[in-house]
Amino acid sequence: MRLYQVVVKDIMRRKKRVLYASLGVVIGITTIIAVLTIALAGQTNIYGQLEKYGANLIVMPAIGDIDIGLGGLSLGTLAVGDNYISEDKLPEIRQISDGRIREALNIEDQGDIATIAPKLYMNTKVNGTSVIVVGVDLQEERLLKTWWKVSQGKYLEASDEALVGAIAAELLGFNVGDRITLNGGEITIAGILEETGSNEDYQVFVPLETAQKAFDKEGLVSSIDIRALCNACPTSEIASAINENMLGVRAVAVKQIAETEMGMLEKVSGFLFALAAITLAVGCFGVVNTMTTSVHERIKDIGIMRAVGASRNQIMKIFFYEAIIVGVAGGLLGYIAGTLLAYIVGPLIFGGVAVTYVPQYFLPSLALATLIAVIASVYPAFRASRIKVADSFRSL
Amino acid sequence: MLEIKNISKIYGEGTAKVVALNNVSLLVNEGDFVAIMGPSGSGKSTLLNIVGGLDHISGGEVILDGNRIDSLDEDALVDIRRGKIAYVFQQYHLIPSLTALENVLLPLTFCGANNKDQKALGILKRVGLEKRAEHKPSQLSGGEQQRVAIARALVNDPSLILADEPTGNMDRKTGKEILALFDQLNKEGRSIIMVTHDPEIAGYAKEVVVLQDGQIVDKTNQEGGNEC
Repeated sequence: MRLYQVVVKDIMRRKKRVLYASLGVVIGITTIIAVLTIALAGQTNIYGQLEKYGANLIVMPAIGDIDIGLGGLSLGTLAVGDNYISEDKLPEIRQISDGRIREALNIEDQGDIATIAPKLYMNTKVNGTSVIVVGVDLQEERLLKTWWKVSQGKYLEASDEALVGAIAAELLGFNVGDRITLNGGEITIAGILEETGSNEDYQVFVPLETAQKAFDKEGLVSSIDIRALCNACPTSEIASAINENMLGVRAVAVKQIAETEMGMLEKVSGFLFALAAITLAVGCFGVVNTMTTSVHERIKDIGIMRAVGASRNQIMKIFFYEAIIVGVAGGLLGYIAGTLLAYIVGPLIFGGVAVTYVPQYFLPSLALATLIAVIASVYPAFRASRIKVADSFRSL
Repeated sequence: MLEIKNISKIYGEGTAKVVALNNVSLLVNEGDFVAIMGPSGSGKSTLLNIVGGLDHISGGEVILDGNRIDSLDEDALVDIRRGKIAYVFQQYHLIPSLTALENVLLPLTFCGANNKDQKALGILKRVGLEKRAEHKPSQLSGGEQQRVAIARALVNDPSLILADEPTGNMDRKTGKEILALFDQLNKEGRSIIMVTHDPEIAGYAKEVVVLQDGQIVDKTNQEGGNEC
């Protein structure tokens, strides 16, 4: 029989007491896990929104006057009116983008790498209602908008076709096959998109050349979305390279916008985390309390053990083993409770964001809980080791 | 093997001062069976605790096998408890969460000796409890619990056994069985110091020491005169 077995057998007899002792740890770990899980869900949510936007970089004319927004995220401004980018600049942008990516990933492939999707935004009236018509490059746009699903009809193919956002279609009463007049030119509704939850729902997409012809903007685009399909792609570098080398355009890496958002989130998480740490510290005192009670309750057992040959260190060890068990139990329960709490509270904070449990937090929560329980047991264990055998029997 | 020289023990200070032992001297030789008698509060248990290093003295010397143990530090006393001296208490003092076998194994666990189940079972067999090895103390009678406690005392093969009213919580028949066991251990050469207030029980001892108000008032050698 080993010492830890003695402790385990004793704890099996006092399950409720041990559970009670671990309560302080449970509350602390619960708060920390809940905060971390919710913060991670928020972060994933922001990245998810950015991912949905599709582009890693946006190139705009150097003068902008309209906000482009995505949900609550501001993605910078976009110029309409007289400010356009010439299509001639597309090859140079491609050269800069692909060049930087090749450099960063050390590849030599001479084919196109980044998706470069030019767009022409036009505010116009169809059947008397204002809509935003977006001229897009058919192939590149399809690569960019991976989440697009055509709910009715088909994707854009011919130059006289249009793809309509779900809400625009509803507002304007469009159906697949309808013919509409666009600034004089006739086009057919080829398909209607599924709702995406972004401002695409309000837009009408037509091939770029069609839009350019209809609005007399040959060779011009409003903005260019660039998507580099890799995590390590140097989007900030591409943005600065474009800004340095090309006149009249301004490139913004979406990551930079994301970082601003993340900065806010981190500040809030930091504050919540500090609160959680205080809870844990308070829980620690709870453990000191219950462990001290446990020492008092077991004065007689401690006396017996000392009388049959236990050293002071062995008595301390007994309480530290108990602390480890209290910590592991507290960490386990705290992880479960914290995750559940995150599932309940997370959607309230981030407006319906999907919270998922984080398995990577499991072992750290056990380790932290154990550490706290052991630290909290130092003083009670020391007290226990100083108990005199004769006194322990006399107190009965 | 054990020599107690002029020891005294005083609890408290000033007006609350209680003299538990006053200038007590006693010699216990190898193989002795000493009964310490006296009314409650006479200092019997205090004397036993001091002999075993469980309590500190206020004055005098306790010498075990030629070495003073009254001034030893805790670690050295732990060594003594792990080999030379073992206790048997009136309240048995078994650990309730452990089975009979595990209670017997406990001193070995503290010594760092594992996998000694066979040895512990052998000792349980000696005290007639091999069939109750897996029972918890709450499932054992008083006499059985005391046998477990005796087995626990024997597991480290001590030369001196200190017993504090070992039959105090038992009926006469069970008490006699326990005393017979002590008698047997004494005949094997182990020294025994037993505290009791019952003259009949003291009759098993070779020497009877009577304490009163912290002082030895009578010493009787009963060698050969055992009525058992």
